[in-house]
Amino acid sequence: MYKLVNLPNGKELILRVADNAFIPKDGANTDYQAYLKWVAEGNTPQPADEGA
Amino acid sequence: MASTINASTSPAAIVQTADGTANLSLQSNGTTIAAITSTGLAVTGALTTNGVTGSPYTMKNRIINGAMVIDQRNAGASVTPTTTGYTLDRFNAEVSQSSKFSVQQNAGSVTPPVGFANYLGVTSLSAYTLLAGDYFDINQPIEGFNTNDLAYGTASAKTCTMSCWVYSSLTGTFGGRIYNNTANKSYVFTYSIPTANTWTFITITFAGDTASALSNSNAATLYVQFALGVGSTYSTASTNSWIAGNYLSATGATSVVSTSGAKWYVTGVQLEVGSSATSFEWRPYPFELSMCYRYYYQETPTEYYYPFACYVSTIGVAGGKWPVTMRAMPTMAVTAASYVKNIPNSPYQTAITSITTDPTIIGFGVYGTVSGMSAGQCYNSGFTLTASAEL
Repeated sequence: MYKLVNLPNGKELILRVADNAFIPKDGANTDYQAYLKWVAEGNTPQPADEGA
Repeated sequence: MASTINASTSPAAIVQTADGTANLSLQSNGTTIAAITSTGLAVTGALTTNGVTGSPYTMKNRIINGAMVIDQRNAGASVTPTTTGYTLDRFNAEVSQSSKFSVQQNAGSVTPPVGFANYLGVTSLSAYTLLAGDYFDINQPIEGFNTNDLAYGTASAKTCTMSCWVYSSLTGTFGGRIYNNTANKSYVFTYSIPTANTWTFITITFAGDTASALSNSNAATLYVQFALGVGSTYSTASTNSWIAGNYLSATGATSVVSTSGAKWYVTGVQLEVGSSATSFEWRPYPFELSMCYRYYYQETPTEYYYPFACYVSTIGVAGGKWPVTMRAMPTMAVTAASYVKNIPNSPYQTAITSITTDPTIIGFGVYGTVSGMSAGQCYNSGFTLTASAEL
């Protein structure tokens, strides 16, 4: 399970809920590759918190 | 052509010939050992130099942590992979089923091969019957920037040799492969462990793939993989040549995970250019550790203090730099064990909560919520953090 996170500096990262790890949107990051595959399989991440 | 100086045994003499060129060949019984030309000295025989009898660290070994010295994640503790993931630094346990074996640095406490202090130890946790689609292996993916001199995909593709020490409670023929991740091609090999519970030195020499290039990038190119049990889907009888497809092992190879309590240990893993194995390349510990840091780094709050600036009384930000530039923007986790103090040795500290991180390849930011602080002030903070840019 993943959740989108907006940082105070305007960046958006992906939170991997299982271990509270933040995944940057870098195509060379294998965790981000796994996230993109998960999305391609029809899954949707939880939205970022309002006002975050 | 060249003039020669030949040390001859029959007849016993130093025989000199001159051919009028500016080249000189030093020979032993007519065999050229070294040649001097206008461009330099070329040594074709073995070169031994006082003070360099060990292996100078020239990165001849493309494997990182091949001596199994560094274990950042587990510090020598046993882990049981439930999914595919890294164990000792740079060594990945790939599993299709959960909890079929454990991995531990120096598992079983056997004496390593002479010259080594550590090994990676696998212990089978059950007598598992392999399904067709099963795969269990220990592997290391190599980054493209460390293989782009191998000239794969050209007529000059270089022959390489993988060597290591292996030990098992089982005997027989084991399997593994070199994998071209860029082109999805496999070079499946076998090796024999003839005597149980005895270290055996193995070498696998494989021709460079002239047909398929490797990515010149920070992506994984070549994998070295040791099979611990592979089903028929990923096994092949086509060994010792490059074949298209994802084949992890040889048909009929010994399955470690199919014998409860079976042990399989490895150390001294080396992948080098050339058609024969040379002595293991010892690199200084800080050098090897830094190479590992490119892919994984962790620290605890007692190891470093970071300035933590509260831009409001309850929210602050800290930043730091990785010890080395990471391979990619890493996945980063910071746990609630992280804290802020108003001075380094203050008895007062407060946990950082609602943590978010901002990792890049050279450093990171940490945003968090604290209490008892003042806006516009800077404090000391320590983090329990991990950063992974593994392949």
